[in-house]
Amino acid sequence: MTERFAFNYRSGTSVLHELDVRFKLVFIVIISLASLKAGMPALAALTFVLVMLLIHAGPAVNSILKLLRYVSFFLVLIFIARALSTPGSPVLEYKTVSVTREGMYGGAVVCWRLAVVITIGLLLVSTTRPSEIKAAVEWFRPLFPFFPKKKVSIMMSLIIRFIPFIFDQAKETADAQRARGVEIRKNPVYRLRKLLIPLMRRIFARADKLADAMEARCYSENRTDPELKSRQADWVALGVVIASCFVMVAI
Amino acid sequence: MDSSAQLRMMVYASLLAALTAAGAYLAIPIGPVPIILQNLFVFLSGLLLGSRWGFASVAVYLLAGAVGLPVFAGGLGGIGRLAGPTGGYLVGFLPAVWVIGWISERSKTRIFADVFAMICGAVITYAFGVTWLKTVTGMTLTKTLAVGVYPFLFGDAVKIAAAVLIADALRPVIRVPGSRFRGSNYKQ
Repeated sequence: MTERFAFNYRSGTSVLHELDVRFKLVFIVIISLASLKAGMPALAALTFVLVMLLIHAGPAVNSILKLLRYVSFFLVLIFIARALSTPGSPVLEYKTVSVTREGMYGGAVVCWRLAVVITIGLLLVSTTRPSEIKAAVEWFRPLFPFFPKKKVSIMMSLIIRFIPFIFDQAKETADAQRARGVEIRKNPVYRLRKLLIPLMRRIFARADKLADAMEARCYSENRTDPELKSRQADWVALGVVIASCFVMVAI
Repeated sequence: MDSSAQLRMMVYASLLAALTAAGAYLAIPIGPVPIILQNLFVFLSGLLLGSRWGFASVAVYLLAGAVGLPVFAGGLGGIGRLAGPTGGYLVGFLPAVWVIGWISERSKTRIFADVFAMICGAVITYAFGVTWLKTVTGMTLTKTLAVGVYPFLFGDAVKIAAAVLIADALRPVIRVPGSRFRGSNYKQ
């Protein structure tokens, strides 16, 4: 399934693979915040850089585009809501409803921004091992004083592990039920029962096995994490990101 | 709870958090407003895991989103999202799941108690979501309700019904030592 490629870690030697995961997490937060203030030209520049990184770093551009297709509904909805609700010079008018130029512009910027943020998140997940993310979250734990640190970071890496797995299982279950002719029935309730419930049972049975396997391997919370090392390149990247974010907000 | 049960609950809680994330991607196109499965899995976290682990599941989900993993609706992550107009709903999931778990734990798996628990959960989610949406956008209360509550009510009713069915099907599967849910289906 296509999501798999976008969501799974893929090994590689790109710049993004080499960077320290802690820096990558900081980049995500900085860029997301900066993109909230960015206008069209800045977004265009950011998109250009992201596309370059995508081609360079692995997950094929079209797998990201396919994932964006799932999201496109939200984007369209947001665009319409913006276009209708912002006051300004009307482009189209129908009774009391009017589509304004300002609204369309605003909607386009918001949608673009969201698409950019999604792409950044996927770049992180596909170029970083879950165990590294876990180690980084543990490193940042002073920021989250109320959480039991070890458990949280383990659960987070389990989440990253489970998401592509769920999509896979959904596909398999749907295929299996299609082979049995379940989808011939139009009744959505019937289809939901025949799809969602077997899927949930399957997923939970697998999670159960995972827990057994962890237990059988004497799993404990005290584990050796991958060593996190920041190098010169990371600091250079941090400088570049901060500087370009300032430029993005400024223009 | 011994360590084995702890581990199992932790895996289940992560799984439900991952399902919540996956549910944010999957939209079922029925009717004008598609049903987004995100809050269905929040309901289920409460019903299946109880108050404590359900809360943990949602908390980790929100934390994963806050550090930028693509887990929120439409695959969006980032702190900006929690502070954005829909952030209130996300934060509202936390008290909601706790209340759902709390009621459901005390009800000894009675179907009406579960439905009641989920209605309470939905009300709490909307209370947080609408308050925040209203503050951020500066809309009037009636308009905020029209945008942020009414279009989703039908979907929520369907999701509550689905959650009851799924909880019924899954409780016998979920092996939690010492859990009162073990092997029990709804009493008539």
